[in-house]
Amino acid sequence: MIELRDVAFAYEDAPAFTLAHLDLDVAAGTIMGIVGASGSGKTTLAKIIAGFIPSTEGGTYRGTASVAGAVLSEGTLTEAVDVVGLVTQNPFNQISGARFTVREELAFGLENRSVERSQMIERVDAVADTLGLTALLDRSPYALSGGQMQLVAIASMVVMAPPVLVLDEPTSQLDPAGTRLVYDVLARLSEGGTTVVIIEHKTELLHEHCDAISVLASGRIVSTGTPATVFADDRLSTWGVGQTRITQAAREARARGLLPVTALLPVGVSDGAAVFAENGAAR
Amino acid sequence: MSGSTPAVDANRTRNRIFVALGTLVIVATYLYLILAQPEELAEGGLGTSALIALAGYLIGAGLIAAGAIHRLPTATLSLIPIAIVLNIAVGQLTAVLGLPLYLDSIGTVLVGVLAGPAAGAVTGALTNVIWGLTIGPIALPFAVTAVVIGVLAGYAARWGMFRRFYLAPVAGFVTGIVAALVSAPIAAFIFGGATGAGTGAIVAAFQAWGNSLLASTTLQGLLSDPLDKTITFTIVVIILFALPSRLRGRFPFVRQYNVFGKVAPVAPAEPAAPAAPAAPAEPEAPKA
Amino acid sequence: MTTLYLERASAVHRLNPVTKLVALLAIIAIVFAVPQWWIPLGIVVLVVVPAAVLARVGGRLLRLFLILLLPLLVVLFIVQGFFFPDGTTVLWQWGPARLTVEGLVFSLTIGSRLSALVLGSLVFVLTTHPARLMTALTQAGMSSKIAYVISASLQIIPAFQERARSILLAQQARGLEIAGGPLRRARALLPLIAPLVLGMITDVDERSTAMEARAFGATPRPTSLTVVDDPLSERIGRWLLAAAAAAVIVLVVVGVIA
Repeated sequence: MIELRDVAFAYEDAPAFTLAHLDLDVAAGTIMGIVGASGSGKTTLAKIIAGFIPSTEGGTYRGTASVAGAVLSEGTLTEAVDVVGLVTQNPFNQISGARFTVREELAFGLENRSVERSQMIERVDAVADTLGLTALLDRSPYALSGGQMQLVAIASMVVMAPPVLVLDEPTSQLDPAGTRLVYDVLARLSEGGTTVVIIEHKTELLHEHCDAISVLASGRIVSTGTPATVFADDRLSTWGVGQTRITQAAREARARGLLPVTALLPVGVSDGAAVFAENGAAR
Repeated sequence: MSGSTPAVDANRTRNRIFVALGTLVIVATYLYLILAQPEELAEGGLGTSALIALAGYLIGAGLIAAGAIHRLPTATLSLIPIAIVLNIAVGQLTAVLGLPLYLDSIGTVLVGVLAGPAAGAVTGALTNVIWGLTIGPIALPFAVTAVVIGVLAGYAARWGMFRRFYLAPVAGFVTGIVAALVSAPIAAFIFGGATGAGTGAIVAAFQAWGNSLLASTTLQGLLSDPLDKTITFTIVVIILFALPSRLRGRFPFVRQYNVFGKVAPVAPAEPAAPAAPAAPAEPEAPKA
Repeated sequence: MTTLYLERASAVHRLNPVTKLVALLAIIAIVFAVPQWWIPLGIVVLVVVPAAVLARVGGRLLRLFLILLLPLLVVLFIVQGFFFPDGTTVLWQWGPARLTVEGLVFSLTIGSRLSALVLGSLVFVLTTHPARLMTALTQAGMSSKIAYVISASLQIIPAFQERARSILLAQQARGLEIAGGPLRRARALLPLIAPLVLGMITDVDERSTAMEARAFGATPRPTSLTVVDDPLSERIGRWLLAAAAAAVIVLVVVGVIA
């Protein structure tokens, strides 16, 4: 679904490339998590996948980024917006302000794409229903909690029905309850066939929800695989990514000789329990 | 979507005409009021001065704002609401602190400097609309002054007045003089010199010394506006100089006109020639 | 939301906002065209105030009159009643202050026009929800960019005032002086404004990305979810109002009304 080949980008007047020689593949209908230290180029990558770079950002761009078979840099931003939805960090900044109720806020993107009114009403109601926003439709979007605002931001992308959704640290400003809401929605969207790319630093959450993980370090993808293999990698900390607490505990146990050096490090609660049980039993 | 491109082109011409026409109407209104007014007042009445001041200025400001807003890219457009709210928040704060100033155009000047005269004009005009909807419609007739301030801030930035710290206050002073001249007919013919208690007292004093109504409001404006705009421009230049140049450099207008006086920007590196001296260093490909 | 709008069920509220705007502009054009001071006053008494009462916003209008307009009118009568430059018929004199007939007539003219302008605009704002106004104006052909800027500004005012207040508190907690001479207080503003500006500039990228992600500006003719009714009777009414205003101006210019 998403194919990045040897992509490089340097911002205007920047001394170095933010991304270079970057390759990324995301299969249709899966959830791909992207982790990386701050400053590793995550937001830039999100904007490239969503078609905002190079079209709204001056600088040096190379390589090809294609989504659903179309090379984004060869089309207009509107064409890119039709295939990829983009959700960013701060819920407050994503409320357009152009409309006074959640219902109209959700319809805003459809209005701008000249969707017919009857169809608009249908699609807004359907998305509000899926994302559990029906009770909020007549409220002011600014009267919502941060988590609800972020759901509105996601819903206003989903209503435009892009096959791909890119989220750039969507839960960094949310409390645990808001974070939970967002991930539940992503799981449901993925079941419905949407391809999801999520940039996130909470590895526990990614392990729980993603089909695949890619690690971004110094401007390129340095590791890709299932959450279990990528997060168990000893090099994770050298890439500036924190391991899950289970992995940390297992490493600590290994260092103290409680686990064999050859043991594959666990990432989540259940495989952690399994590893500890197995080795405890061996003792 | 056939024919959407020609439609955009037609709009561009139309927008240029709007801006040119708006400017013309404002200048003509001011000249008419200055030249024709003494004779009419001598006849003992206001004549059509009030109607011409109100209509001419509102139509002119409206035309400029409508023509200018179409040129603005979304990035600039999304700056404007925050600037408008900044105008209002600081304007209110100034009143609360009891300062003898307005300081209600900091956002307008900021947008003019960062995004150009057209953006400044739109910010100024729509600030007055928002004042009208939230606080009360008294300020609305002065929309033209706000447009002039935004436009002049934009041109001041374009002409390098924000490259040196000490030049910005000078630009503010000049902007204040123009603002005072432009707003004097509104204060005179629409408000009869009574735009507030303090300003009213000053107008009364000038009239008692034998000045005409228009001359008195002009002099009153010249007492307050240049000082206010000097301080406004100074605040703006202090804040912008304190910002990291990376943030200021995000605005295409700033880069295009070299607003803050850095050396001319390096030409973007050719993608095909990574070895060119101007190109940023690209890391080596992974050895695999 | 911080506008003056008052939610009521009334015929005035239900009118298409464009109709109300045209009526307001017609009133303003007429009161500033005619030289007689009693005509604007008559319009206030016979049109503006009844409209406010009908819309059940009369009490608020009175309060706003007392806060916004009355002080200006008092200043106006003192400044022009006693210090009118072209006053010749002196009624009373004390030092430089001369109460003149011409000054009083001038004050009445300006005062009644200003009253019609301010009170008429207030009734418009009090009875028109900004969302409905923006939808109706966009339907009538106004650029959706203007509607966006106005709507967004109105909605972020509370958040910004909140931010300004918290910054003020934080600065005071760190010992910022907001008393003292004007210059000192003006300098005290700087640490208040700087964080607001920094926030504004760092936010702008995300805000515009959010707009563009929703195809803002992709087409000059967007559709609309909400539709404001515009019955034929109101469209005819608007043309009549515009014609009436134009007729009055013509009559004044050719000298029939003088």
